Amino acid sequence: MKKKLLKRKLYLLIVIFILPIFSLLLLHGNPDRYAQASSKFRKNIPQGIPADLWEMLIPEDNPMTEEKVALGKDLYFDKRLSLDNTVSCATCHDPKLAFTDAKRVSEGVRGKTGARNAPTVLNSMFNVEQFWDGRSITLEDQAKQPLINPVEMAMPTHDAVVDKVKKNKDYVERFQKVFGGPVTIDNIAKAIAAFERTQLSGDSPFDRFMAGDKSAISEPAKNGWELFKGKARCLTCHEFNASSPFFTDFKYHNVGVGMKATKNFEELVRKIQGMVQKGTLTEKAIDELALTEGFSELGRFLVTRQPKDLGAFKTSTLRDIELTGPYMHDGSLKTLREVIEFYNKGGEPNPNLDGGIRKLDLTEKEISDLVEYLKTLTGDRVKRLAKGEKL
Amino acid sequence: MLPLKWKKSDEKYKKERAEFFNAIKHLDRRTFLKVAGMAGAVFASKGLIPPHSFQLIDMVHAKTDEKPGFRFAYISDTHLYERKLNERFVRAMMRAVQDVNALDPQPDFVFFGGDLAQLGQAGELELGKQILSEVKAPIRMMVGEHDWFLDMGEKWQQLFGPSQYSFDHKGVHFIVLMSVNEKDFWTERKMTPMERMMTVAGLDNALQSRFEVGKEGQEWLKKDLAKVPKDKPIVVFSHSPLYKYYKPWNFWTEDAEAVQKMLFPYQSVTVIHGHTHQMLTNRIKNIHFHGMLSTAWPWPYPPEGLPKLTVQFDRPDPFDEADGNGNGTVDVYQKGYVDKHYNLWSKNPIKVTKTYLESWGKESIPPAPVFATY
Amino acid sequence: MTKKHLKFFIMGLLTLGAFVLLVVLGKVGSYAEQSPQTKELKKGSSSENLVIPLCDGKTQIEIPDARAGEALSPEKAMKVALMMKEAYAKEQAKQTSKWTKRDRLIWEREQKRVIEEGNRLFHDWKAIGGTTGISCDMCHPNASNTHAETYPKFQTQLKRVSTLRDMINWCIENPSKGKPLALDDPKMIALEAYITNQRKGTPLAPGKH
Repeated sequence: MKKKLLKRKLYLLIVIFILPIFSLLLLHGNPDRYAQASSKFRKNIPQGIPADLWEMLIPEDNPMTEEKVALGKDLYFDKRLSLDNTVSCATCHDPKLAFTDAKRVSEGVRGKTGARNAPTVLNSMFNVEQFWDGRSITLEDQAKQPLINPVEMAMPTHDAVVDKVKKNKDYVERFQKVFGGPVTIDNIAKAIAAFERTQLSGDSPFDRFMAGDKSAISEPAKNGWELFKGKARCLTCHEFNASSPFFTDFKYHNVGVGMKATKNFEELVRKIQGMVQKGTLTEKAIDELALTEGFSELGRFLVTRQPKDLGAFKTSTLRDIELTGPYMHDGSLKTLREVIEFYNKGGEPNPNLDGGIRKLDLTEKEISDLVEYLKTLTGDRVKRLAKGEKL
Repeated sequence: MLPLKWKKSDEKYKKERAEFFNAIKHLDRRTFLKVAGMAGAVFASKGLIPPHSFQLIDMVHAKTDEKPGFRFAYISDTHLYERKLNERFVRAMMRAVQDVNALDPQPDFVFFGGDLAQLGQAGELELGKQILSEVKAPIRMMVGEHDWFLDMGEKWQQLFGPSQYSFDHKGVHFIVLMSVNEKDFWTERKMTPMERMMTVAGLDNALQSRFEVGKEGQEWLKKDLAKVPKDKPIVVFSHSPLYKYYKPWNFWTEDAEAVQKMLFPYQSVTVIHGHTHQMLTNRIKNIHFHGMLSTAWPWPYPPEGLPKLTVQFDRPDPFDEADGNGNGTVDVYQKGYVDKHYNLWSKNPIKVTKTYLESWGKESIPPAPVFATY
Repeated sequence: MTKKHLKFFIMGLLTLGAFVLLVVLGKVGSYAEQSPQTKELKKGSSSENLVIPLCDGKTQIEIPDARAGEALSPEKAMKVALMMKEAYAKEQAKQTSKWTKRDRLIWEREQKRVIEEGNRLFHDWKAIGGTTGISCDMCHPNASNTHAETYPKFQTQLKRVSTLRDMINWCIENPSKGKPLALDDPKMIALEAYITNQRKGTPLAPGKH
């Protein structure tokens, strides 16, 4: 009789304590995305980049998995995604060149050129919006644009891209495994975006300096950092602090680059307004105009049509800037020194010049020190990639 | 199972991320563009096109089916120093000139709202005149205290004529009132002209007298108004606000009541004033008051006395030397009153309409600032 | 009762009567309130007024409407005696502090001087090392829109959490195009003293934008 009672009590104990624990585990079902992300990818987040911010910016509908990232990587390098199989993402965003292409403006299929300089993929997941004019909000969305832009990868439609990918049985299998479904343009974009989220840049001499190693950068570079924060007025737009260490405020400013060369600004603006009224200024139209000489210079205005955005472009990141020349949205400035001299003279006067731009009165030494400072922003891994290390 | 501590922060991030992406989900590219495009059209329909080099669409009219009779532009409070001391104010004034020259169609005239010079120096006034000579449209000048109190208006009058005058234009009677007279505070203190000028130039010293139109000015106004029929629209240009806004900063006209009393009997009276370097709107009985922007620097709103009808502009960022500054245009209606355009250089333009004031702030309300002065 | 006793008795009565009268008229009461030690010496109070040292050797009391060298009436003398007794008792009732009234005067004087200096610098672009003719008061009349009570806060121009002094330096460097001051420069301290004084009484609100 006592034994039975004991057994009952034992069963009761199990029910009261262990079952709930079990069911909680079950309720959590799939292992937490964060757990996955943190355990596998977190260790690759370089010094200087906040890991919690990285995790926070992974979209709910595109969690990180190793297979997805590998798939995205293959797609990223796959030239078959272009019309004549000659251009892939990596063509203009080459890991050996800090994910840019060292060209003034990028060249797509059949040597066609656009009107803008390729921005880096490194840390692009932290951008509030993508492209120089912010016309795409997410990485996923950005990845879809060059595929069908006539001067980039020149595919006629997204469906054509999907069909091409579907022809490859290996891809079809992998898509099934990763997404549990067929190849779609959205899944292609998601895979590429997931890969891009692993391409980060930090671990630079400056990051070590900020972490406390006072010998990590030279004395001239230290002076350059002081100038960056002070006399040269860089920091206010090229924002850097522990919470946002990307050297950009993610806002759009007109510093006058390209204004000298553009003679028919007013006419271009009127044309755009005409398109708005007719309803012909579609997403695709904007994407193509952005890479058309002339219209490209309208900058953020193409997207927002607000007068204060005329000729305004996104503040670029400065990480790895030593390796990502030529500079500015049109690649018109070849060296870092040229860039600083451009700002030193007060940019290029034009009716919409940002009120924060003015003559800086920097001396020769100060300009050199600033250049020395900017060189300390190159990440170690990015340097190794430039030297030929495999991705 | 995850440690409890992590779980909590986990939850927080999940929530934030969910909110963030929820917002984005509802704004896919196409929708985003549609919205942006519509915003552009709405912009246009509200006539919010700046008098800027890139004039996009013809001015659309206010809510009423009245059409504005004509338009004039204004540049005000340039506060020039000589170039070698301060180039920024010079460049800012030149930008204003560029703006008004680029207006298409050209305004009927360009009005200068006072404080051309910072310290009333001959060099400063002459520099100002030189820059204004680039303006294509005809110019009408008004004096400010910074122009006057070094030599009590001698150089100003030499360069620009009388400090007080009136004219008629397309059925509207314009009065340019000298409203920055001050009772003598300098003689008993044995001040030099420059000391007097520096005192007047300072906003927060309690030494200078409050501005006034003065007895003589009131007399002149009386005589001028005697010729004006009661139903003719009147626009009064005044440097000081012609009402009592904030005494410690001389945002004030001491004899405002007396002057207003002379103006009340007229059907429509609009006062356009300078001096305050900010967006400012007021209405007293049948008089509408609009402040002009400065090209040089903006002022914060004072701790008290802000007219109820004023919608503040968003707090300017001092890093941006153009923020809070600008110029503008005024659409004058045939039946009287005006729409006031603020062409704010680093912000989207704002229009304060006749409808807004006629409805005592109930209709056509200008957009609110995100960061107001406090 | 002898004659002597009577004399004293009458004098006592008279004194008492005078005392009562004065109380009624509010005069003695106000003397008591005026507690000379804790009241500031009025500006322009000169040594014309009678100043009496107390027997502790350091405290002094000033009699507002008595002149040095004048003879006091008996009633007045009685009042003065009472004042002295009270003042002495008050001093004795306090803990000993190394801070004297003179110290307090020094503090106040220094505070005023530094605030005045800050006021001067605030209105003088040359004195802060500016080169563009822009002085602080031009954009910040009465130190408006400086919001001393909100520091330290994330300063959008500096892109980091900063103090009032950091922002003062930013203004010196940017609109005024001068060289930044050392954070412990007397000029910097004076400017901070003036600016915060203008915001006296405003509750602390660090981080507010």
